[in-house]
Amino acid sequence: MTNVNCDQLIDYLNGTLNEDEQKQFEAHLAECPECREIVDATGELPYLADPVAPNPGMKARILDAVFDEEEQQTPVSEEPTRRDRPAPPATMAKRGFRTSKWTPLVAAALLVSLLGNAYAFYELSDQPDAPTAPEVAFETVDLQASEAFEGTGTAALVHEEGALNLLVQANQLEPTSGDQVYQVWLLKDGQPIPTGAFTPSQENEGAVFFSLDEDTEGWDTIAVTLEPNRGNTAPQGEVVLSAAIDPEA
Amino acid sequence: MEKISDALLYERVRGKDKDALEELYDRYEKMLFSYLCKMTGDRDLAEEALQEVFVKVWRGVGSYDESKGKFVAWLVTMSRNAAVDLIRKQKKPSVPLDEIAEVESTDSSVEETAEWQEKSEQIHQAVRHLSEEQQKMVQLFYFKGYTHETIAEKCGIPLGTVKSRIRLALKKLKTSLQMVQEGGVLDDKREL
Ligand SMILES: [Zn+2]
Repeated sequence: MTNVNCDQLIDYLNGTLNEDEQKQFEAHLAECPECREIVDATGELPYLADPVAPNPGMKARILDAVFDEEEQQTPVSEEPTRRDRPAPPATMAKRGFRTSKWTPLVAAALLVSLLGNAYAFYELSDQPDAPTAPEVAFETVDLQASEAFEGTGTAALVHEEGALNLLVQANQLEPTSGDQVYQVWLLKDGQPIPTGAFTPSQENEGAVFFSLDEDTEGWDTIAVTLEPNRGNTAPQGEVVLSAAIDPEA
Repeated sequence: MEKISDALLYERVRGKDKDALEELYDRYEKMLFSYLCKMTGDRDLAEEALQEVFVKVWRGVGSYDESKGKFVAWLVTMSRNAAVDLIRKQKKPSVPLDEIAEVESTDSSVEETAEWQEKSEQIHQAVRHLSEEQQKMVQLFYFKGYTHETIAEKCGIPLGTVKSRIRLALKKLKTSLQMVQEGGVLDDKREL
């Protein structure tokens, strides 16, 4: 059974029908078992290829891009006075991929830029008039997971003119449930202050950015705990990730 | 628990159910990515094409329903066309026309699952029943990123002829595939 419509099958598969032709052919497809069966057979063609493992992190990137659009349609109101705020958006987008605003990927990119050039921080911070020769010291540490916990992470600490900027990025975390959050702390002699909290993404990643305008403490430890809820001023949960930091840095 | 059908998952995706989209992604990631890698010969390009496909699925571009055939076939068509567009935009040198041998396998090939192996055997077997000319049509149209216009141009055949040859090749593929799937073994002498 071949009619005029059947002849359009290849144009249909090639995506070259105009809107009207497309609709007409789809109507034909609904009624022509032969065309439909041919279309169905093309669904098996990929199995002629050798199976290839996905690119690392591909699923996260693709789903991020897919869901990105609508998240940007809902403006996020940021309290300007909040100190623990997510990492600022970076402009380094990977070729062809759209990166949503606050993903850990961006934080990771920012972290790399921090390591490459601590001065880059001025462009990202709230201080447009950065001194020309600031005293900047920075340090990065790998966070180690406690026993019975999953996860890895990195913290970057940047000291500039007495202020401290801290960026913590973690991944392979266990998902939280209910009100649980991962809380980041800076400690000196076992005394902690909260420096931001996050819940991991679907890809079990999270990041937090924190700054202290006057930092004279000389922190010796950074830790991430799993808290039963947000807003604790002292840790209630267990330490998931931690590392010693140099108080002199 | 019975596996929920693709069509039903797609319905949920239309209702903006993110989990349903993720489930569809998980079902077809490997298949489509492998296909796109073979077609583009480039992992990044393949990922970009796959992303376009799922962005379209999420946005409801060219919506699917069962009257259009199997969902997976619809996805394959979208994937092919996304890759064809990207290849064209990149002006990537296409593989020479006379080279219809297998593209060398990508270095990080993974082990075939039993399901993949079975599907792969079936389609390979079905393809072997096509004439050389028909196999070439399938190769060029589905694995080399050529549009029917390009095939006509490069082979010096009228476009109408190219279309009917591809159609005939796919029709024969369908028939032999059905027989492989139903009968297990295909009698070579049988007229398709
Ligand atoms: Zn038809």
